[in-house]
Amino acid sequence: MKMKLVILALVLVLLSAIHGIAEPHKKDGPSKDGPSKDGASVAAVHNSGYGDAIRIEGEQRFRANCGRCHTAPQKFPPRMMATVVRHMRVRATITDQDMQSILRYLTQ
Amino acid sequence: MNYIELGGGITSVTLCCPARYATINPTIAPEKLGTALDFLRKIFRNWRSLAFTRSWAALILALLATVSAAQGPENERPIPILTGSAGFFTNVNGGQAQLVPEMNPVILLPLGDRWLIESRGEFKGEFERPEGGGPYGGKVEKELDYLQVDFIANPLVTVTAGRFLAPFGIYNERLYPIWIRSLQQVPLIFPIGTGSSDGVMLRGGFPVRPKVNLNYAAYFSTLSTVNKFESDRTAGGRFGFFLPGPRIEAGVSWQKLLQEDRTNAFGFHLAWQPALLPLNLRSEYARSNLGSGYWIECAYRLSQLPFWSKAMRRTEVVARAQQLFAEHISENEAEVYGLPDVNTRQGDFGLNYFLRDGLKATASYGRRFSSDGNSNIWTVGIAYRFVFPLGRLGAK
Ligand code: HEC
Repeated sequence: MKMKLVILALVLVLLSAIHGIAEPHKKDGPSKDGPSKDGASVAAVHNSGYGDAIRIEGEQRFRANCGRCHTAPQKFPPRMMATVVRHMRVRATITDQDMQSILRYLTQ
Repeated sequence: MNYIELGGGITSVTLCCPARYATINPTIAPEKLGTALDFLRKIFRNWRSLAFTRSWAALILALLATVSAAQGPENERPIPILTGSAGFFTNVNGGQAQLVPEMNPVILLPLGDRWLIESRGEFKGEFERPEGGGPYGGKVEKELDYLQVDFIANPLVTVTAGRFLAPFGIYNERLYPIWIRSLQQVPLIFPIGTGSSDGVMLRGGFPVRPKVNLNYAAYFSTLSTVNKFESDRTAGGRFGFFLPGPRIEAGVSWQKLLQEDRTNAFGFHLAWQPALLPLNLRSEYARSNLGSGYWIECAYRLSQLPFWSKAMRRTEVVARAQQLFAEHISENEAEVYGLPDVNTRQGDFGLNYFLRDGLKATASYGRRFSSDGNSNIWTVGIAYRFVFPLGRLGAK
């Protein structure tokens, strides 16, 4: 039993390590180096600059994720939002990309 | 201090701070309690024995002390937060009235770019009139729901250690806080597989395709009989997927007790929020040696109604159907786990009015059918979620 658990844990950590090497970890929390690197937002940056497209994408991700468990909250000041979003990332197992995009949307 | 008076001066209860609820066996007689001073004196007298409350106060002070260290040049660095919920409910269960003041403070302490320390305490009073009449009195539950360190190792894995909510199903981890749940009565199957565990957990969520996210949690917990840190030796996990387009989530949970009779518990959950309707559909099934059952809940915001749109936007109607199939457990076990020991069916209807972000008034009616007798359950109350920064917010 214990053995199986240890193996499961190892496999998960290994998988994530491989992912981490392939794509260096992006900072959790606010970063100033533009939008998250997934395809959609990169395309958005090239097509229309850092403007509306990023905001719309952030809003979409916010709508899909932040009203699932409770009513979608209001915006809080950026430093509070950064903590809340980190908390929700852990609690709601929301993806890294969603978190980056939502945080940017909520702190704009 | 908020002062809440209910039903023709039957009773009065103050809602203020955790210490209030930590008073052991408070007997609330309106005539006596009118003097808040008496009450404060009682708290100070009990202060020494209130280890739990004091440790919470100590944690807040320690956090405040770290605030200056957390301040940096950036205006967007996360700061420590004091959040949580407070509420007051009146339940009438089979004709017996119960007053339930509740306070659940949550402390969030982010450290660096990848760490988070989080903790939630629960202070809940359950006051009833004794048989034959008399003032409301009763016990106050004090629980440490979680006290955990999270390390966001990379986009796929977050490592959690400490005391955490067992990731079984969706109710315990996601819907339990009073400001979140649509109906204040927890589902009949709630005790199956849930509770708090002391141990280590790996969890995360990541996209496997552009429109499919996977999420998982796997944990191991150890046996503990330490006061407020009680935990069983278990292993378990939850695995699910979420489709952000149609907003559908489904998943399975599993838990194995690694002590005593080494039983298994199994669960399944489904949630759907159709994009075109302000509707929230949720359902869970759980099975263990203690019993099995399901609940299915539908919450609908009346924002689409063409009249009184301002008020309707803030109103939500809820319906839930549930059933529990009891196993052969003793009355004592049933009492300990909070599970019915006979087959039970229940239907609930509720109304929530969102006064503003984080504040809602709630009312519900439920009818329970079982071979022990049928009963009505009424609930009315108010739930509030607060969020306070513990430090300077910085200039925007
Ligand atoms: C999987 C369910 C779930 C999702 C999805 C979710 N939340 Fe939460 N949220 C919770 C729960 C549960 C709590 C209460 C935590 C507690 O009391 O232990 C909470 C608490 C909060 C709070 C109160 C402060 C705090 O951090 O506890 C805020 C604000 C919040 N969420 C915002 C958000 C935002 C923004 C999103 C979208 C990124 C989001 N939530 C997505 C479940 C969720």
